[in-house]
Amino acid sequence: MSGGIARGRLAEERKAWRKNHPHGFVAKPEMQPDGTVNLMVWHCTIPGKAGTDWEGGYFPLTLHFSEDYPSKPPKCKLPQGFFHPNVYPSGTVCLSILNEDSGWRPAITVKQILVGIQDLLDSPNPADPAQTEGYHLFIQDVAEYKRRVRQQAKQFPPLV
Amino acid sequence: MKRRGQSIQISESIMADSATDDLEPLFDYRRVQPRDFVSIDDDDSDTSPDPSPKRKKVPDAAVKKVDEEVEVIKVVDHEEDWLPPPPPPPPKVSAGVQNKHGEDSTIKELRRKKEELVSLVSFAQSAKDLFQEVEKRPEAETEQLSNPHCERAKIVISIQDKDGIKQFRIYVDDKFERLFKMYADKVKLDVQSLVFSFDGDKIGPAATPNDLGMEDNDIIEVHLKKI
Repeated sequence: MSGGIARGRLAEERKAWRKNHPHGFVAKPEMQPDGTVNLMVWHCTIPGKAGTDWEGGYFPLTLHFSEDYPSKPPKCKLPQGFFHPNVYPSGTVCLSILNEDSGWRPAITVKQILVGIQDLLDSPNPADPAQTEGYHLFIQDVAEYKRRVRQQAKQFPPLV
Repeated sequence: MKRRGQSIQISESIMADSATDDLEPLFDYRRVQPRDFVSIDDDDSDTSPDPSPKRKKVPDAAVKKVDEEVEVIKVVDHEEDWLPPPPPPPPKVSAGVQNKHGEDSTIKELRRKKEELVSLVSFAQSAKDLFQEVEKRPEAETEQLSNPHCERAKIVISIQDKDGIKQFRIYVDDKFERLFKMYADKVKLDVQSLVFSFDGDKIGPAATPNDLGMEDNDIIEVHLKKI
């Protein structure tokens, strides 16, 4: 029953999150139409880091956990077409700690994932591009890249 | 005779019953009946000695009291064993009381109580009633005092801003506007300039922790409204 392991761990993750999480972040399991909770999908919010071009943006992120979690990492998805060198056109985040074959460890918490992605926003990794537009602007036209980032932050205002 | 008549009627309708019909004569009901009478007698004997355990309850409770006090003394002795030379700072009260009165006074107290109890036991029903009344009264009073607190459960809620967490203890059925006011007063900000959210959703002033299914130490986030 690997599913039992995944759900047990996710229940613990949620419990820990409720008691302690970084300011501005949201992470909650999906509420299904019938009112029950689906622990395998989490809807999260990552705030853009203060003092960066990402500040003021509250970016929605969805975590899709498999029955093999925590042996395997969750799939982390930003909105489709999200502007960032390391985000695939589908919105899937490309980050070493989220890669089963490189940086993922079962001990990595949901909190660490979200903070890791927040870090990635302002510190893209040009060695591992996932989309052409964000990558090319980041390499070739930093001013335009920054303008696009600030513009995108405005598209994701705080929900409250 | 009547029973047989009934069983025959049943067997007529249901084939399977014929087997039980054959067995039935083997069962002698007359043997069962006396047992029932005996059990009724047992019930009577069970109910009749009830008053005597009730009478015993008074000395029982008293004995328990004595036991409790003896236990208290034992606990104090243990503490002394564990912390020999320096007087333990937190349990100063108990240690101090013990030092002042000494074991002699506690033994005297126990003796006095024993005497009281013996006299109480010798009293008949009226004395017992008085004793119980005296015991019940303080209980009832304390219940009245403590119940209002128990009925309105409290919850610890953390309010988190950019700089840290402040914890508040409020009633689970208390509207959040009261908590928001408390927080605003504490941080010296206008409550109108603050937005409070739980799990990314804005909290209305009329909501209560119960409404949101909150648990102890759940975090409410506070944001400054942007003008």
